[in-house]
Amino acid sequence: MTGPSRPSSATDINFTFDGKRYSARRGDTLAAALLANGIGLVGRSFKYHRPRGIMTAGVEEPSALVTVGEGGRTEPNTRATDVFVYDGLVANSQNRWPSLSLDFGAIFGLAAPLFSAGFYYKTFFGSAKRWMFYEHFIRKAAGLGNAPTESDPDRFSQRAAFCDVLVVGAGPSGLAAAVDAAEAGQRVILVEQDEILGASLIRDPQELYSVWVQNCAERIRAAGGRILTRTTASGYWEHDLVTLTQRLAEPGQVPHNGVAQRLWHVRAGQVLLATGSIERPVAFPNNDRPGVMLSQAVRTYVRRYGVCPGQRVVIATNNDDAYLTAHALQEAGAQIVAILEARPAPAGQGQNLPVFNNAHPLSTKGARHCLKNVSGSVDGVTKSWDADLLAVSGGFTPVVHLHCQAGGTLEWNDAAQAFVPAQSRQNVKTIGGAAAPAPVFNATPVAPAKKSFVDFQNDVTLADVDLAWAEGYRSVEHLKRYTTLGMATDQGKTSNMGALARLAEKQGVAIPEAGLTTFRPPYTPVTMGLFAGAGAKDAGAHKRRLALYDVHAAKNPIWQPLGYWFRPRAYPMAGETLADAAMREARSVRTSAGLTDVSTLAKFEVSGPDAVALLETICATTVGKLAVGRGRYTFMLREDGFVFDDGTVWRIDENRYLLTSSTGGADRMATHLSYVRNYLHPSWHVSVVNVQEHYAGIAIAGPKAKSAVAKLIGEEPPRHMSTISAKIAGVSVLVLAASYSGERAFEIYVDARNAEPVWTHCETAVIAEGGCLYGLEAMEFLRIEKGHLVVGGEIDGRTTPQDLALDKMLNKAGGFIGASGLGRSALSEPGRRQLVGLEAIEGSIPEGSMLVTADGKSPEGHVTASAFRIMEGGSIALAHLADGFDRHGEELIATSPTRGQRARVRVIAPHFYDSAGERYRD
Amino acid sequence: MTDVTVSILPSAPLWALEIWSNPDAVAARFKAATGFALPKMGSSDGSEALRLIRYEPTVWLVEGDASALPSILANDGTQTAIGGGIVRMLLSGKGWRRLLMEGGVFDAESPAFTTGSSAATIIDHVNIRLHVHSDDACLAYVPLSYARGILHFWEEAAKALD
Repeated sequence: MTGPSRPSSATDINFTFDGKRYSARRGDTLAAALLANGIGLVGRSFKYHRPRGIMTAGVEEPSALVTVGEGGRTEPNTRATDVFVYDGLVANSQNRWPSLSLDFGAIFGLAAPLFSAGFYYKTFFGSAKRWMFYEHFIRKAAGLGNAPTESDPDRFSQRAAFCDVLVVGAGPSGLAAAVDAAEAGQRVILVEQDEILGASLIRDPQELYSVWVQNCAERIRAAGGRILTRTTASGYWEHDLVTLTQRLAEPGQVPHNGVAQRLWHVRAGQVLLATGSIERPVAFPNNDRPGVMLSQAVRTYVRRYGVCPGQRVVIATNNDDAYLTAHALQEAGAQIVAILEARPAPAGQGQNLPVFNNAHPLSTKGARHCLKNVSGSVDGVTKSWDADLLAVSGGFTPVVHLHCQAGGTLEWNDAAQAFVPAQSRQNVKTIGGAAAPAPVFNATPVAPAKKSFVDFQNDVTLADVDLAWAEGYRSVEHLKRYTTLGMATDQGKTSNMGALARLAEKQGVAIPEAGLTTFRPPYTPVTMGLFAGAGAKDAGAHKRRLALYDVHAAKNPIWQPLGYWFRPRAYPMAGETLADAAMREARSVRTSAGLTDVSTLAKFEVSGPDAVALLETICATTVGKLAVGRGRYTFMLREDGFVFDDGTVWRIDENRYLLTSSTGGADRMATHLSYVRNYLHPSWHVSVVNVQEHYAGIAIAGPKAKSAVAKLIGEEPPRHMSTISAKIAGVSVLVLAASYSGERAFEIYVDARNAEPVWTHCETAVIAEGGCLYGLEAMEFLRIEKGHLVVGGEIDGRTTPQDLALDKMLNKAGGFIGASGLGRSALSEPGRRQLVGLEAIEGSIPEGSMLVTADGKSPEGHVTASAFRIMEGGSIALAHLADGFDRHGEELIATSPTRGQRARVRVIAPHFYDSAGERYRD
Repeated sequence: MTDVTVSILPSAPLWALEIWSNPDAVAARFKAATGFALPKMGSSDGSEALRLIRYEPTVWLVEGDASALPSILANDGTQTAIGGGIVRMLLSGKGWRRLLMEGGVFDAESPAFTTGSSAATIIDHVNIRLHVHSDDACLAYVPLSYARGILHFWEEAAKALD
């Protein structure tokens, strides 16, 4: 298969395929290099494990899928035609066992009649239990390559770009358009999925083409344009946003600077699609063997790579373009043994070529890496030729994916037997070959259906299309899903038109009347890492660090993600488990004192003459009567009357308030406040500033908290729900007396830049009182025992103030958001889930479990949070229970079938500790 | 490789200044007191001693000595300290524009985004305010909790700029 223009040289590079070492020339795709080394068998098909070779020379390749790379860089299902060989590339065939040449999976091919379209639907039905049985075998058999189990060591970048003109495709039309736009002073981005520019000019070079291409590139760059190679426009979104996927390293290759791929988000003033066309295969029996290739691909391998994929070649065509392939092959020394021309009359292109008109291929016979024989019909008479290569051309399908993703419509071009772009919905225009494909004779398959593949990647034959039709699948969308036609990485690039033509034939309509499936992004596969971007290894987002993060880290806590925040969950001592540590910390708070970081609470400063008006709009409780230096608990409702957050509000000056709310709802509360301030009441004289991060928050709680705080600030601490300004370690702080734990407690707010010395002094003071640090786990125990609510637990967006027994705190004057919603009669009907406490009679109460009166009965509520009594022991929980207020004393079962856990519980009030609140007060 | 370095600046007094009434009168008082006008939307003005960046229709980020502001505002607005929650970072070198496109959604490469321009934008999911200091430098105001993450993000991204 080595062509005359392909001498080996000192610049050859090495790669392996299935463990065997080969050499390649720089600039080779893996497909070109394999062909140059005489490798025609590259993979096994998806369903029948039929031997498959290289069919195309571009991203449309449906058959030659390989696994490239090693370890975490392994990339399965990579098209051999879309990876450029680098030194040390490791490629492996896939979907075969024990080897590519001897694949036991090929037995599926023998049983092909059993695995026809709809096989899954016809075979795997019945109860869920049966499916669990089937699943094991289906998972074993399904799929092509295997995903790597190691994490990817490389990074993935996402970058924004803006331009006046985005040109997709660097063929002659794209290059010319980009030059014109750039030299007209517009910001231009030109993208090309190949590693070099030129597209069809590379395959069909004209005189001085390389000079012209290079000159275009220089002119674009000189005018300030940007050219991105190895970059595919993978999706077209609203408002002319186009996503580009750029390979900075080839699949499996160690990137030069750590970044393997980049996802571009390009906002373009105008998009020009110079995406060209994809050649169609021809459907006939055994058209999938290694050695059957698309005609233009053959020409590309000959002209671009100097590789001649066959020496005795049959060409099957319905258009003029394939004659260029014949000439290229002849120039490379190959023999054209026959041209099966579908058109009935000579086309004038075949001088000195063995052209047979009114002819089409009937079948092939093959060796392992190439063909042996091609048979065809000529004027209805069967003939055969010894040949090692069959180049086919069934016409051309314009690449209209992006045009359609942008909402554009298509129209049928009868001469080309293809859909072409029509109306555009966004500022996009298709130019070049994609707008005006070459004419062809006929797109409808004429050969027998059996083993005539239309979708090579999913093993869909004409017979499958016929079967789907016979079984009543009339819509092209149903056909696609029933047969899997056009799915997976291929997305119908080579298969759509052949199947559509067959469907139209069955329907007795013209092809455009049969309809088209939807073009969805991405056009070519995009790695998951690229979607995740720089945060791929960190759940896609940055970790939010407390101002005191390093202080905590030095104590080796168990960290707890809380949204994007990381907070200490517990500070275990040597040998302690999380549960042990948390219980020790909670007991310290109950008996002496504890210190914890509450910096993540949402905090807003509300100031101005209309501050009260705004707060009484936001909060469902009264605010206006607060004296300076006093605070109170509050909660907020949605318009529909449901509670969505809670917190405290403090009057820290005449016209200045501090509003706190939950950590998890901080962003939502900021948005809500902004909405009320800027949209509902833009004329109010009030300022709302998010100071969540400005203040670090330190809480000291416990019976000895007051003593500790008094020593810290050198004066009498504020009484419960009061606030004073003070100094700790010479730093100004705001001391709020509020309790979440159920004990006398204080929250100390300090400019986050000065938090460390304040924390250090507080820690010393707490330890001097016999206390310790405590984390989120202990905080949860404490608040559950006290019966305090948490947003996301008891406040779950479905509860009203009445459901949570907060209604006595409602502002009687109304006027707050949600007041009207509360008046709806449905919210006071019987059966509403209400907040209750549970204590275990037997067993531990599983968090999240359902509450039932007896096994098999419908759930009447659920456990929102569970814990253990801190001093006395015993499992307790908070729960939502239908009509719960009236069911105190009733026994229920808390059951979690998925975890196999259950407990017998008694319904009680949701305050397990100091229900009178006496421990808050001095 | 594109030239850009990222450094954390010492903390500075930062305030949110909001005007809720008589904006023209406040603007006049402000100019008389400081010698420069309140910057328009998308821009910043001032000096190293006092700089204002407008990032909402009625709100400015104030950096520096804000002691004169209460008398300028009188009853027409207020100021609130926010400096504890913001870390200032300096992006230096010709490559700062390209660096800001990493994980960005804002056209920092626009020729119109020039010295004195400002923006409130999202970079790699983090809300960041920008102030163009010069052709070779841009100030970024980053939330404290994200500062270490963003610094790491920019340092890594800077290695792979082209």
